[in-house]
Amino acid sequence: MRRIIPIAAVMLLAAACSSQHTDPADIPDLPAVTTEELQQVLSDSTQPTVVNVWASWCIPCRSEAPLLEQAARTATDVRFIGLNVQDDQDGARGFIAQFFPDAAIDHLFDPAGEIPVSLGGTRGVPMTFFYAPGGQLVDLHAGVIDERTLALQIDEIRSR
Amino acid sequence: MEFTLLAAVLIGVLPVYLVLRWDGHRCGTGVRDLWDIALSAAVIGLFVGRLAAMISAGVSPIAHPADILIVRGGVATGPATTAALAAVVWMGRRDLWSVLDGLAPAAVAGLGGWHAGCLARGACLGTPSDLPWAVAQGGSAITRHPVEIYAALALIAAAVTLVLVRPRLEARPGSATGIALFVAAVVRLATEPMRPALGSGPVGWYSVGVLAGASLVLWALRPGRKPAPDPDTG
Repeated sequence: MRRIIPIAAVMLLAAACSSQHTDPADIPDLPAVTTEELQQVLSDSTQPTVVNVWASWCIPCRSEAPLLEQAARTATDVRFIGLNVQDDQDGARGFIAQFFPDAAIDHLFDPAGEIPVSLGGTRGVPMTFFYAPGGQLVDLHAGVIDERTLALQIDEIRSR
Repeated sequence: MEFTLLAAVLIGVLPVYLVLRWDGHRCGTGVRDLWDIALSAAVIGLFVGRLAAMISAGVSPIAHPADILIVRGGVATGPATTAALAAVVWMGRRDLWSVLDGLAPAAVAGLGGWHAGCLARGACLGTPSDLPWAVAQGGSAITRHPVEIYAALALIAAAVTLVLVRPRLEARPGSATGIALFVAAVVRLATEPMRPALGSGPVGWYSVGVLAGASLVLWALRPGRKPAPDPDTG
């Protein structure tokens, strides 16, 4: 019993640390986008751009979301686009409410999940594309991204 | 992509095994037990560090237990190290200093191996540099410090040195542990400015490591402390 109490206390603390700061109903529906429209956005951009492909059902996406939120907060000269794929609006809004409520990330909706393939990626999530100003693809990272890789690639697209 | 992380872990584990085979016989606990303690402590540290990273990111480990396995999502350095050390202290409590000093060179070597594992993960490069040995990533003209290789070389060299000087330190229990902690923290602290990062990194934890390691060395080597008896002569 003496061992169970501290374990239970830690579990309760961990549960209490779960955060859902914003009501998903307060998040507007994500605008749908086509490959051509996104490519136009990227080629028109005068800023380096990070496009992160995510889905609300994707467990690794949850792991890297706080990192992207931090990156969007610190790298203010870089544009961040979140491309929600193979998902529905309710799931996407719930995910944004939990992880990106105030982040400077423009989220777009691609329910068919075809855009990442058209941009040179795969249908897997998560995936992160790094673009220089003008839309030149500098790097494509498939899978969960770590802080060092994200910071390095942001540094690369800033320098192009 | 997680397979590259697994390869990096294996590159980190190999030096631990090799150094324990080389040096572990000095410890009365035995090489096999030291190996078990090292692996158990590493797993516990990884688990606690991952939990801490999830909680600090606002993800509940209870609501999302599968996320614990996504190690690449982040491991909090300070809690992970503290938990691993606490696990070693608990498992080696019957012969504490002998176990800690026995594991010290292997732990430093393992950390060096983990940094060398950047070769498997493709994550060796740091901030831009014009030094002759600076390296550019594929398709880029920007050359960068191979910062993880710096850290790996420094830590492996420290581990080898620690093994070589261990016979002289045996009369001062705790000194090898202090030196290992100090060196590991100094190497991380010195290389941190060369790592690309979104924030300041765990510099505070590394500073604590430097201070704790230096304090332990000073305590172990203090003039008034009675040296431990030579185990060979009794």
